[in-house]
Amino acid sequence: MEIERRILKATWGYNGNLEPLYEVEDEDDEILVTFDLPCVRKEDVEINTTKDTVEVIAKMSNAVCWERWGVVQKEISFQSFRRQIRLPEPIDPNKAHATLKNGILRITLPKTKRKVLISIE
Amino acid sequence: MEEVVKIVEEDGVEYKNPIVIEGLPDVGLVGTIAASYIVEKLNYKEIGHIESDLFPPVMVIHDGKLKNPFRIYSAEGGRIVVVLSEVAVPPKAVYPLTTALADWFHKIDVKQPVISVKGLPMKNRMDIEKPEVFAVGNDEGAMKELKAKQMDLLEEGFIAGTYAIMLRECSKRKISAISLLAQCYPVYPDPGAAASAIETVKKFVTSLDIDVGELLENAEGIKLKARDLMQQTALSASEMQKGMEQDMPIMYR
Repeated sequence: MEIERRILKATWGYNGNLEPLYEVEDEDDEILVTFDLPCVRKEDVEINTTKDTVEVIAKMSNAVCWERWGVVQKEISFQSFRRQIRLPEPIDPNKAHATLKNGILRITLPKTKRKVLISIE
Repeated sequence: MEEVVKIVEEDGVEYKNPIVIEGLPDVGLVGTIAASYIVEKLNYKEIGHIESDLFPPVMVIHDGKLKNPFRIYSAEGGRIVVVLSEVAVPPKAVYPLTTALADWFHKIDVKQPVISVKGLPMKNRMDIEKPEVFAVGNDEGAMKELKAKQMDLLEEGFIAGTYAIMLRECSKRKISAISLLAQCYPVYPDPGAAASAIETVKKFVTSLDIDVGELLENAEGIKLKARDLMQQTALSASEMQKGMEQDMPIMYR
């Protein structure tokens, strides 16, 4: 499935967007999502969340231009990262928060389902 | 019987008490980035490559020239040898590849510890300004060398992947080997970790005259170019039990 995905879908597009690398971690009461966003400043990042998705659109400080490359065989440049991911559990978008440090965007998404403490009789 | 993994050297290559630096892809691509920077910055000569039916059917083109993605470089008249790859090592190739390399190290008479440059995945890497480097050695000679260089040692835990088996295969042939593990992002390319690793390699290879300034300056560009290899490597990593590096061994001490 993953091989098929890699054949059919590159991690870049002719529209100037790159897909960022990302990681999703399930951390008890919250879902932690990180994105690797080199060449991006905090003010150029847009994050949109719904209860089951998070989307990141991040403009690079300088367009990256690759020449004579692969299947394109001509100059191609990328200006931004764009990626929407589906979350494994519903989250509360209003309580989400994010930080960007050393090119890594960390988004903390509190889950809507909270744990209930059960006392032992 | 035909070899599963074949080391192909150019004719007339000579080695003089070589020091081997191995930088195959692993977490953070630390070894790959470090090895590529060393061979490109210091203009090392390509002296061979590694072939196997177990590798993906891929060749790479650089400046219009067809190249094997698993390559071997040398410098200083055969005193330094660097092994690197531009594609992820498939899990099924780990044992035959490390066996073939260890056999080859024996053949070219490697007497100094083989150095594997790798990453040590850290969940809090984004809060670490300058990654530290830890080490593992496979025998008394290697441990003596690590202590002499005042390296911090990994003392408990599992190690997984090519470097773990490389240490073992070298031990079986009585070749000293060490792994240098720079704190890194688990699934993102990490040029900062590679820079720390190179600084540590310099302690063991004193003739390695290289400044990591350019690597750090170009870190963001390197991260962009390394995205696809990082993704391939992360896919292989799960099959290589890399997750076990976060587990605690059961042995009572």
